[in-house]
Amino acid sequence: MKMSEIWIYVENHFNRVDPSSLQLITKAKEIANGRQVTAVILEDHDQDFENTVKQYGPNQILLVKNDNLKNASDETITNVLVDLAQEQKPDTILFGATVTGRSLAPRIQGRLKTGLTADCLDLRFDDDLLVATKPSYGDNIMCEITCPKNKPQMATVRPNTFEAVVDGSSEPKINEVEVTVDVDPRVTVSDEQGSVSNTRSIGTAKRIIALGRGAQSESIIKKANELAGKIGAIVAVSRPLTDLPEFSHEQQIGQSGNTVAPDLIINLGISGAVQYVVGIQNAKTVVSVNTDPKAPIFDVSQYKYVGDAEAFLDGLIENV
Amino acid sequence: MKIIVCLKQVPETNNVKIDPVTHNLQRNGISGVINSFDVNAIEAALELKDRYGAEVVALTMGPPDYEKTLRLAMAMGANEGVLLSSRGFAGADTLATATVLAAAVNKIGGADLILFGRQAVDADTGQVGPLVAEKLDLPQYTYVSKLNLSSDGQIDAVRMLDGGTVRVNGDLPAVATVRSELNEPRYATPRNIKLSFKKDIVVYDEKDLDLDDSEIGQAGSPTIVTKVYTPTATPKVTETLEGSAKEAAQNLLTKLSEKSIL
Ligand SMILES: Cc1cc2nc3c(=O)[nH]c(=O)nc-3n(C[C@H](O)[C@H](O)[C@H](O)COP(=O)(O)OP(=O)(O)OC[C@H]3O[C@@H](n4cnc5c(N)ncnc54)[C@H](O)[C@@H]3O)c2cc1C
Ligand SMILES: Cc1cc2nc3c(=O)[nH]c(=O)nc-3n(C[C@H](O)[C@H](O)[C@H](O)COP(=O)(O)OP(=O)(O)OC[C@H]3O[C@@H](n4cnc5c(N)ncnc54)[C@H](O)[C@@H]3O)c2cc1C
Repeated sequence: MKMSEIWIYVENHFNRVDPSSLQLITKAKEIANGRQVTAVILEDHDQDFENTVKQYGPNQILLVKNDNLKNASDETITNVLVDLAQEQKPDTILFGATVTGRSLAPRIQGRLKTGLTADCLDLRFDDDLLVATKPSYGDNIMCEITCPKNKPQMATVRPNTFEAVVDGSSEPKINEVEVTVDVDPRVTVSDEQGSVSNTRSIGTAKRIIALGRGAQSESIIKKANELAGKIGAIVAVSRPLTDLPEFSHEQQIGQSGNTVAPDLIINLGISGAVQYVVGIQNAKTVVSVNTDPKAPIFDVSQYKYVGDAEAFLDGLIENV
Repeated sequence: MKIIVCLKQVPETNNVKIDPVTHNLQRNGISGVINSFDVNAIEAALELKDRYGAEVVALTMGPPDYEKTLRLAMAMGANEGVLLSSRGFAGADTLATATVLAAAVNKIGGADLILFGRQAVDADTGQVGPLVAEKLDLPQYTYVSKLNLSSDGQIDAVRMLDGGTVRVNGDLPAVATVRSELNEPRYATPRNIKLSFKKDIVVYDEKDLDLDDSEIGQAGSPTIVTKVYTPTATPKVTETLEGSAKEAAQNLLTKLSEKSIL
């Protein structure tokens, strides 16, 4: 019998592999327990994402190279992935819970008539069953979800939940397949436009200075940028500050923004609403400054200072 | 032009508790409100109504009190409300939900555009829009922050990605899921609120939609929730930085450098 396989859909943007796909390869290997971990790459002839992917040590790379895959629509990618899945019958298919992953996975789920668990924070196998841990109600409730009767089992996994680890212990087998790419004629996708400050850099930043409604004056923003320059950090914001001309959704942390996982985050003038806190729960060291000694943000912080954000920022800039 | 807007009602608060005995979510006593992202979908539909005289149908699947959400949509300006309600629909996962919604779209006679919110704020999957698109074999425009329809049946949208944007365009009919960045929803006008209560709401069940029991509700749902729990956050030990702002900042820098964090 063919060995059961975990497929990871390798997403790419701006000619780079999305970090969430690499994180999933590492996680899948950790839980595989004898299953084959297969990275599925769809690319055009100018692209070579396999060179990046193989460093992370999947057992196998399933590669489709076809020029119709340049700027392919969700519909076209679905056509290709569903054909491959129906032919090769993977046991499990995983996607990053990115905008792309969350758009493609349900479309594929619908065609394969199977279950899909969204935005997972953990995965494991109980015998043959994939058990996916999914947060709900703004991460206040966790549930474990399985899909016992249908195959493949599918999940999207929140980016930056797991770490991607390079693994050179074995050379993955590259299995290039020829398929007809059935392009959906109804949709045209243009080139992707990167935002000036790439969110990717927020999602993967090692140091973040986060500003909230208690730290939104022009002088604070200027100083935060100055400090960020000195310590190699990135400035991010809570949702209310995305209304300021300096910031946009790209810098927003939280449930309806970005999940971050820095080594250090300094929260200035942020109250710590649950929708914000879910975005920083993978941060390693959390420092918060707030004039309100009862601010909920302190409950999730290792270091707290009760006082004025700007004065504290001045203190950091002077002494760093 | 006809637009269908799909709406979900969600608990008013995210502060949901688990029943210690049954391990089910305690939703009793929490009143339902429209999913906030769906208000942006209604606004998008109404802008097309203002511009092209489009007919706007609000559609929801849920218990009878979801009527409240349909009334809100009509108070904002939707022409009609359709409620999909039956005990048989209970316990649906996203696939079974989409099956019912897609059947209802067909029953209503299809539409040029079917609008969804970006995601429901409770279960938070964002899967229903793409699933309905797949079931109806329509192209999908997900997570859109800009959306234009032209009178000659074209759609032109900007999808917001995690690190940028991409323009997607093509032919109608289509499905779109909208982000809150798309628009500023209008308020209901007193006149429309009054009108909304004069309108009848159409109710369909599985028989009206010609659906088999095996496709709907729990039976039609491949996923099973096997465990529900409240995460026990490992309490963080919080160290207070004392003194003046300057002293506290210095103190922090020392500690961070001792731990090689900075
Ligand atoms: C469905 C939904 C999704 C949401 N998604 C997000 C999301 O993704 N991200 C997000 O951030 N929010 C989100 N929100 C909003 C969230 O609920 C909060 O409203 C928001 O996070 C508050 O931002 P804030 O902490 O900056 O502002 P506030 O809550 O107003 O807090 C400001 C803080 O600054 C302190 N302060 C005031 N002056 C000073 C000073 N001089 N020095 C130091 N501190 C000072 C105050 O004590 C206060 O604690 C969402 C809400 C909903 C309903
Ligand atoms: C705690 C919890 C976790 C869950 N996790 C999963 C899971 O991982 N996978 C899964 O398949 N199911 C899951 N479900 C079931 C899921 O919540 C239901 O299927 C629900 O009916 C639709 O999914 P959603 O709430 O995620 O909506 P989303 O897909 O997030 O909603 C997107 C949009 O679809 C439209 N829409 C959604 N529901 C309706 C409706 N009833 N009527 C009309 N329009 C609607 C709205 O426009 C909404 O903005 C979960 C349920 C719970 C309670």
